[in-house]
This record gives sequence, C-alpha cells and structure tokens, in this order.
Amino acid sequence: MTRRTRLALAAAALCCVAGAAACTPPQQQAAPAPAPAAPEPPKAPASKIPNRSKDQNVELGRKHKTAWELYQALKLEAGGGSSLTPATMPDWSGVYSRPAEKNFTFDPDLPAGVLTTAKLTPAYQKRLEKRVADVKRGIEWDPISTCAPPGHPRWLTEPFLREFVPTPNQTWLINEMVNDIRRVYTDGREHTPEADRIPLYDGDSIGFWDGDKLVIHTNALMAGIYQRSNPDYTEKVETVEIWRKTDPNTMSVDVWVYDPPALAEPWYVRQVYGKLSDPDKALRIGYWNCAENQNNSVFQTPDGTTQFKGFTFDPNAGSAAPATPAAAPAPDAPKQ
Amino acid sequence: MTRRLAALFTLGLVALGAVPGLAHHSAAMFDEKKTVTVEGVVKEFQLTNPHSWLLVDVKDKSGKVVTWGFEAEGPSTLRRAGIKPSDFTPGTKLKITGNPMKDGRPAAIWVTAVRADGREFNPRAGFAVK
Repeated sequence: MTRRTRLALAAAALCCVAGAAACTPPQQQAAPAPAPAAPEPPKAPASKIPNRSKDQNVELGRKHKTAWELYQALKLEAGGGSSLTPATMPDWSGVYSRPAEKNFTFDPDLPAGVLTTAKLTPAYQKRLEKRVADVKRGIEWDPISTCAPPGHPRWLTEPFLREFVPTPNQTWLINEMVNDIRRVYTDGREHTPEADRIPLYDGDSIGFWDGDKLVIHTNALMAGIYQRSNPDYTEKVETVEIWRKTDPNTMSVDVWVYDPPALAEPWYVRQVYGKLSDPDKALRIGYWNCAENQNNSVFQTPDGTTQFKGFTFDPNAGSAAPATPAAAPAPDAPKQ
Repeated sequence: MTRRLAALFTLGLVALGAVPGLAHHSAAMFDEKKTVTVEGVVKEFQLTNPHSWLLVDVKDKSGKVVTWGFEAEGPSTLRRAGIKPSDFTPGTKLKITGNPMKDGRPAAIWVTAVRADGREFNPRAGFAVK
C-alpha cells in the first residue's frame, strides 16, 4: 500500500466516523479516468464558392449581364448548394449593427471627397449631382420621412439593431427600424412568376446555402435611394448577396447591384455588421411605431426641403405646418 | 420670440465632425454649424421611435419659462449610448448643448448634456459598434 493510498483510507475512515452521508471508500489504485472526448458538433458542409477579393468580386459582377446570371453562376460553382439541418446551421446569434464610421454611405469604402463609387448612367449621375448640390444649400428630403420603410437595397445601410436568424428553409434578416424583416427562402421555391410580381419594399428573395454562406437573389423591388446624398435606384434593381460570418463578431455581406437604367455596370460593395457587446442583456429590439410621437412629424416644403409640422412643447408652433400635410414630391424624389 | 431666444442663450459656431445625422428625416431644418447651450430642468423625456425628445424647461431673466426640445435617436440607440429613462426624470437639473433650428424655434439636435452631478450624456455615442 502506497503512502498516498494509506492517507486516502485514513481520510475515508474519518469521514465515516463523522457520519458524513456521502462517505465512499476510495478504490484501490484508483487512477483518474480520462474524460470521454466530447462528440464533435455537426458542421455544415464545406463551402465551394471561394472568398474573393474586392477586385475579384467587382470583376465577377462585370462578367455577368444580369443579377440572375450571376446568381446562377454562383449556384453552379456551389454544386447546386448545400442541404443544411438545424444542427448544421451557422451560429449568427446576437445583436448586430452597422459600424458608425460607415456613416450613411451605401459603399462603406467610399473615399473622402468622392461622390459615389457607382458607375452611373448620365441621367442618374445628374440626379445625384443635383441632390448633393441641393444638400449643400440646405435642401434635403428623405422619402422615409413619411415613415415608409427604407426598402432593399437601402435596407443594408441603416444604423440600427439587427438580428439574423438562419433556418434550413427560411432565413430572417431583421432590421429594428420599422420592424423590417427580409425573408429569404432556401426551400427550393422559385421567384413569383414575372407576370404576377408587384414591387415590394424588400422585394422577393430566394437563396441557397453554400456551406455556411447564404447566397441570395432579390427582385421585385421598389425604386428608392441608396441613402441620403447617395444615388437613386429604379424598380428594375436586382441584387445578389453572399452572407457569411467572417469572425465570431462580424457578419460580412458581398453585394452586387444590377440596375441598367441607373447603373452603367453592376455596383459591388461589401457591407459589414458588428456584433454588439451586451453583457447586461439590455439590448432588445422593441416594436417600432414610427408615428408614435407628433414631434417627429415632418413635411416637405414647396422648395423641397424638410420641416417639422409643429411641436407639442412650443405654444408658438404650427406656423410652419403646411395647409395640406401631404406635400408634392420634389422633382427628383424617387417613387416609393 | 426668435430674437429674444437668440439673446437669451449662447450660440456658438462649432464645426462638427462626421457623425450620422438623424436617421428618419433630414436634419436640414437644423443649423449643424451652430450650437446652443441652455441650463434648465427636465420637463419630460419622450423615449419614442424614430426619435426621442428631451424636453427641458429653461427660465429666462424675467422668470418666464420656455420649453426647449432636444431631438435624439430612438430608445435602443440611446441605450447603446448609456442613456436610460431613469437618467432624466422630471426635475433633473442639466446643461444641454445642441444644434439649433434655423428658424429660431426652441428645438435642437441633442449633442451633449451634463447633469448637475457632472455626468455627461452624448446620444451619438449610440451609433458605435463595440
């Protein structure tokens, strides 16, 4: 008997004398058994679409004439896509937001002093130049001031809370602003037939999984603006996106926008959303009623800019309110 | 009233850095190159979407009270900036700075507020991803 075993038996005897309930004599020569190895959690199949550089993605967009062509090419590259199960879905949990330094620009990589990285058609270049010139002289109207949703692809740029909920057959991409949820169907269904399509704020999105990447094609969108002081897009706009988690705290989205009336070539941008630290679990997405406070009510003035209708706290307010609340749209206001 | 208010409060020409504007409507009705600072007490903190309003009662030299409204982002963005409803209960004394309305009405974009206990609150910090 080793000294160690003798000590253990003595301790056990003392324990029994003391009447301890859980008094178990040690086993002779007991060696700590190795803990059984935890089973490997199931993983999504490997992705087949390579992670391309920005330049390569710009070139990839140019190679394909339409968003649908690009989407089909990516699907071919992915071997038709992967079948995921609840156990193999990627973990996109958490509350995210778009980094503040990206400001309100559709292309987060827009260099300072540059109007846009989009290659616009001449007519839409003029519209953008006018919009920016108007802002410089204090004239600005945002179509979402009416409480309309931003709509996609502008949806990508809003700076509020976001949640991303992937499931095998449907993924919800949630923006807190006006309770805005994009639904992406990955159950094999096709788009709504062209004859039956209507313009929708967030369009009609179908997609497939390539390992842990979600590839999305979206059509049936409404016209809008990419953001304030950014270009317009038309009802012909379509997008292809590849969503993936690039590190535990970052979602990255490759976006190709096709819009022949406004874009002379596809516009590629990469969007990034950072996971917010929330140690006290205080961040919660609540219901967003855009019209709940009268003090936020604005109208478009005859010269095309924005003005409050009046404040509840100002007894002299109301003088700026229009005779008819619905102002005429500005000449360059997109249809929404 | 516009002239009287302008005389009552300090107006400073301060160029602001690149920060997000107001997310639901343009800030064209505010003069973002100017700031106004007032001292008063909280009348009401309206934590609403898409924008919150901090209403502050400000007394002039004659004793007349003018209510100012300071506009900021909605409740979740304020929460990200560390601003909670309990931070500005009615009666809380503070000094608050904002970008004033161009037309002289008593409203501004809330830039920063300092309570009597010295704690400072900057709503725009709520856009940071951290």
